[in-house]
Amino acid sequence: MGDKDMFGKTKKHNWNKDQKADPDNSRNDKNESIPQSIEEVKARLNEAFSQCSDFLLREIICGEDGSVRMLVAYINGFIDKRVLNQDVIRPILEYLSKLKAQDKGNHMYELLKECVISSNDLKEAGNIQQAVNSIVSGEALLFIDGEEKALVIGVKAPQGRQVAEPDTEVSIRGAREGFVENLLTNTTLLRKRIKNPNLKLEMLQLGEQTRTDICICYIKGIANEAIIEEVKERLKKIKTDAILDSGYMEQFIADSRLSLFPTVGNSEKCDKLAAKLLEGRVAIFCDGTPYVLTVPYLFIESLQASDDYYDHAFFATFMRLLRLLALLVSNLMPGMYVALVGFHHTVIPFKLMITLAASRQGIPFSPFTEAVLMIIAFELLREAGVRMPRPIGQSLSIVGAIVLGEASVAAGIASNLMVIIVAITAICSFIVPPLIRATMLLRFVFLAAANFLGFLGIAFVSVAVFIHLCRLRSFGVPYMAPFSPLTASDLKDSFVVVPIWAMVTRPRILRQENTKGTAGTKRQEVQVKR
Amino acid sequence: MRCGKTKKFVKITIAAFLFMLPLLLTGCWNNRDLTETNIVAGLGLDRTEEGKILLTVQVVEPAAIQSTTSGKGKGGGAQPKPVFVESYEGDTVFEALRGMLSKVDNKLFASTVQVLILGENLSQDGINEALDFFQRDHEVEYKMDVLVAKGVTPKEILEMETDMNSIPAVYVKGTIENTVSRGTVKRTLLIDLVKNFCCSGRQLAIGQITKAGEKEVGTEGTAVFSEGKLAGWLDPYETRGYLFATGKVKSAIVNIPTDNGKIAMEIIRSKGKVYVEFENGEPALLTVKVGLEANVGEYEGKGKLDSPDSLHKLEELLDEEVKKEIKMALDRIQKDYSSDIFGFGTQVHKYHPQYWKEAKEQWKDTFSKLPADIKVEAKIRRTGVIKGPIKKGG
Repeated sequence: MGDKDMFGKTKKHNWNKDQKADPDNSRNDKNESIPQSIEEVKARLNEAFSQCSDFLLREIICGEDGSVRMLVAYINGFIDKRVLNQDVIRPILEYLSKLKAQDKGNHMYELLKECVISSNDLKEAGNIQQAVNSIVSGEALLFIDGEEKALVIGVKAPQGRQVAEPDTEVSIRGAREGFVENLLTNTTLLRKRIKNPNLKLEMLQLGEQTRTDICICYIKGIANEAIIEEVKERLKKIKTDAILDSGYMEQFIADSRLSLFPTVGNSEKCDKLAAKLLEGRVAIFCDGTPYVLTVPYLFIESLQASDDYYDHAFFATFMRLLRLLALLVSNLMPGMYVALVGFHHTVIPFKLMITLAASRQGIPFSPFTEAVLMIIAFELLREAGVRMPRPIGQSLSIVGAIVLGEASVAAGIASNLMVIIVAITAICSFIVPPLIRATMLLRFVFLAAANFLGFLGIAFVSVAVFIHLCRLRSFGVPYMAPFSPLTASDLKDSFVVVPIWAMVTRPRILRQENTKGTAGTKRQEVQVKR
Repeated sequence: MRCGKTKKFVKITIAAFLFMLPLLLTGCWNNRDLTETNIVAGLGLDRTEEGKILLTVQVVEPAAIQSTTSGKGKGGGAQPKPVFVESYEGDTVFEALRGMLSKVDNKLFASTVQVLILGENLSQDGINEALDFFQRDHEVEYKMDVLVAKGVTPKEILEMETDMNSIPAVYVKGTIENTVSRGTVKRTLLIDLVKNFCCSGRQLAIGQITKAGEKEVGTEGTAVFSEGKLAGWLDPYETRGYLFATGKVKSAIVNIPTDNGKIAMEIIRSKGKVYVEFENGEPALLTVKVGLEANVGEYEGKGKLDSPDSLHKLEELLDEEVKKEIKMALDRIQKDYSSDIFGFGTQVHKYHPQYWKEAKEQWKDTFSKLPADIKVEAKIRRTGVIKGPIKKGG
């Protein structure tokens, strides 16, 4: 037990072993060195990139007797050709044209690298495999006849969309910049906010086929080393063909794979991510998606919004409590209504009872059936709203509002009150976006339990959900922290938000070396310097 | 490994324990839709000539009420009635309530009952037996108002249609709530009745309801019970005296006669206490102590009310007036009904338990013969926004 238990669950990442089989034979010999002869290099590359119409080779043959031969290889469209020509090809050609016969020698490679090529981003590839990888990653490769290594020149063309305001996370105050698909743009955005060499960005590639660039990001000295190690370990264990979105990774590295509740957070807002890193979390960037993962992710984070910290603390506290209320309402409201109407008539005040009974008069369905039908109708509307092309949106809202709301009541299919309840439930479910999926399903569970046992059923399900929540961990940190285990100093940013000048300590729960048995373990508390 | 097993066992035990906690909750187990119930708003209980229980229910028709309040009723055409009234005879209350189901379309739901009206016949025969059901059943609302109908049967009251509220039972409840601020009705909730049953030394007193017009009821006065049987009635002023003595007046208007007219005093606070003084181990004197706070509400007298003396004079007059009312009530229950609704017996029970044990049975007669001492102390707090009476003609 002990330390192992902290991440115990994640040690069994072997279920995707069979995906490992590699269909590409050309990569079998991983350490094949680069042939000295340029002809051979050409043949190897052409073999690797056969039928790749975007693969380009440019051969430079120079010198009096054509003895100086070079090869530039790149993927068309991936690199900035103008930069390649200005910084690489032209200097080489100019240099070579001035070259005298006696200057030729083995130091050609070093000379080119140090004196001729004016590009700044230079690396070296020692074998064919590395070379091929660099080419597919969008770098230009320079092979020189008689050399066993190749020059990797970073001339990647900036591409993708502009930095824009994210659609999914909107805030009233705060930065409008959101992440984009380009990994480098994203890390730059982050670095702009945290100008500190302690902000570490560790790169790796994941996905056998896609070789997606992944970047683990943390602030050294703030983030818990144990968590950083754990993140790396879990990422390294991922064996899969493709990482097309950070969501792929999320599913691999999540602590509880079957839980409805998210144990890995995501965000596409730079300021939010910076704040999370400064709290001691670890971020995982993934090339090709604006969503950046953050771990550990605790329950309370679902209720937090970046506005909370930019605004007055009283207001923020009120909003937090409102969000908590919304969470409860969106989970429990339909169930409560069914329990009230079906079981517990005695607790309904007389006048409300008459209103309730009047609105249910003549409805052919039981409250449970009615609720399920209406909620499903709403979920259909919501899903349609997400999937369909934008211009059709208006007709959908008309159909939704008029047909489902008005007409179903007028036709006596649904009661007025049920429409109101489903509407409130729907509104509330949008207030806490991270938990929207959990809520969507839990709502039905509560509903069924309420139909079966009334409030008692709701109590049963609540107990089950709470047990589950308290058992959950995210990278070793208890999911329900700071409530369970109670961490008094972390309560400052829970249901109550204290002003930013009063938040003097970093979240303590993220710093704990071992969350089991805190006795005898080092607890570091870092004072925020102001 | 073994350690792991024990831990797992502990975990499962804790989980099981947590799941068992909700079982302690109480509640209704049967799923019954609201539309499958008849919402009972008023209950009437009476005894027929043959000695059977006559149960009357007033049931709300929610749909009709909704259409009358929202004005969606189809113009012309017969409006659906907001309530219907049904009666059923049975040997017991429960039997009558169940028997009623043969006449109505849905189960009767009694937790919403607003008023329970007891008939005069039943009251004279004794209400204790009939009320047993209301204590025993779990679906009964303890906060329903209980009233005794005078000169009218419960059925007639429940069948009365009123213009003021679409549900007559709610109208009746509203009138009681209003009369309470006059201090002329003994408002009795079912829970008060139940409490009184197990309270030794105090007789029952229940509010009274009469028919005041074709479409109106009057809820003033009190029905006095003795040993569970109706002994007689107190008129509104006697009722107020009784309520002053027991400290149950929340607000009241007391008129004081003066040389030139009357002064209306508004009682804003009152405290009342009764006890029995003992001499040589025998009860000797009934004492009633009342403390009042009042405002001058209306003044028809002469002179200004700006000196302490004039106010003291008023206070004394008020003392006398309240004393008179208490005396009236006390005389009535001592002489005419010999029913100790003031609760003197409770005081004896509390402070002289030994004596009470022996004299419990004869208390009715003992109490009727005891002299009484009534002390009232009134304080006037405010005299309103003007000092003197309005001057006529400048």
